[in-house]
Amino acid sequence: MQTVKMVISGAVNAGKTEFIKTISEIEVVSTERRATDDTRLIKKETTVAMDFGRIAIGDDLVLHLFGTPGQKRFDFMWEILSEGMLGLVILVDSTRPETFRETNRIIDFFMSYRETPYVVAANKQDRPNAWSPEELRLALRLPAHIKVLPCMATDRESVKNVLLELLDVIMQRSED
Amino acid sequence: MPLVGNIRDFGLSDFLYLVDRGYKTGCLHLSRADEMASLYFEKGKLLTATRKDDNVPVTDLLVRKGKLTPAQAEQAVHAHQNQNGASMSQVLIDLHLIGRDELQRVLQQHIEESVYALFGWSEGEFRFEQGQRPEPTAPIMPIPLPVEHLIMEGVRRIDEWGRIKDRIPSTDMVVKFIEQPIERAKGINLATDEWRVFARINGKDTLAEIARKTGMSEFDVCRIVYGFLTAGLVDVIRKPAPVPMLATGRPLAEAPRIKKSLVTRIINRIRGM
Ligand SMILES: Nc1nc2c(ncn2[C@@H]2O[C@H](COP(=O)(O)OP(=O)(O)O)[C@@H](O)[C@H]2O)c(=O)[nH]1
Ligand SMILES: [Mg+2]
Repeated sequence: MQTVKMVISGAVNAGKTEFIKTISEIEVVSTERRATDDTRLIKKETTVAMDFGRIAIGDDLVLHLFGTPGQKRFDFMWEILSEGMLGLVILVDSTRPETFRETNRIIDFFMSYRETPYVVAANKQDRPNAWSPEELRLALRLPAHIKVLPCMATDRESVKNVLLELLDVIMQRSED
Repeated sequence: MPLVGNIRDFGLSDFLYLVDRGYKTGCLHLSRADEMASLYFEKGKLLTATRKDDNVPVTDLLVRKGKLTPAQAEQAVHAHQNQNGASMSQVLIDLHLIGRDELQRVLQQHIEESVYALFGWSEGEFRFEQGQRPEPTAPIMPIPLPVEHLIMEGVRRIDEWGRIKDRIPSTDMVVKFIEQPIERAKGINLATDEWRVFARINGKDTLAEIARKTGMSEFDVCRIVYGFLTAGLVDVIRKPAPVPMLATGRPLAEAPRIKKSLVTRIINRIRGM
């Protein structure tokens, strides 16, 4: 059995748990625990362990989706997670510009190791005040070749679309 | 839908970059405590800026600055009533009450001062209303102002590392020009120190190296490069590490090579979900 993995990252509350829950075939394994630091101001419960989802591709192949733990960023867990990943989805809460800098730091973290294929998902596009993907591209100063996709992590078709766009980027780097 | 936030989190210079690159038309409203300011843009360029405590028609402003007599102002107001849509600035020029260049100079100076004061705000709510246009009687400049120029001046007022570190996390990063910096550099007047740094940018030297070669402090070099970066002139990139190391001390494994056939299988599976 071969497993491949993709990592879903982004700032606290960006929608990582929701994204994985929406597409995973199994109940998302997510150890929620009361946060003790300032993330508590954002929401009562925040992910401290990791989200994990799974999609069987066939009898011999399975895709794992890992969400990065939300509050203690860049620790050894992130490194372990990112080793050998096929690609990366960076989720952004498009309604909260106060998280854009954090998002840049996260992208920088991953890219400092290796040029991993990634896409940026402008999440919560259903909310009023959501910045559009093009506005997010400018706000995050993303280069033209990086895809910034509209996303609603609560919507299956939308999540599928983000993953398919990422797979398209991965495809361009794959070998025959 | 308006774009909302706080300039504590998304700075004024970041917003100006967005307006410029996004070619935006509309009004950026800024407020803190009892202060309020509005910046109007057309296709990414600044048309005018007003503050709540100084929101006067262009005619009043020009009278105050001794550029128009009250009688001339009245003449313009009268003529303007018969024009539909034209800006008061245009009417003043058409009536030869003031020259276009002179009007530009006076209004630009006035507006720049208002905007520069805003860079001193460390926090404040912002709201960008797309498509919103200024009152025709507002002090609209005959020639809209490119924002790169405002950004550089704004950045000159930054004196804390925090904001700079967000974009330039380390002095080991390399500075390189973007594709066509010359076009963008046109709107910008550089101070001597800025030129010294500008001239050193070669896509190979790091910020630390530029600091050493110019004899300037790393902070000053970073602040100046931050300005270029914010104005969209340069990029800072990481120097590629020979062998990337993990924090755990292990060298990073090679990127996995993946077969097209495998990617195709995953794509087909997800399509079918
Ligand atoms: N309206 C809306 N809410 C969303 C969307 N995605 C996530 N949320 C909500 O945003 C909050 C944070 O999402 P969560 O997945 O827990 O974020 P995480 O911290 O990144 O794991 C939850 O209340 C979600 O239900 C979306 O696309 N639209
Ligand atoms: Mg979560």
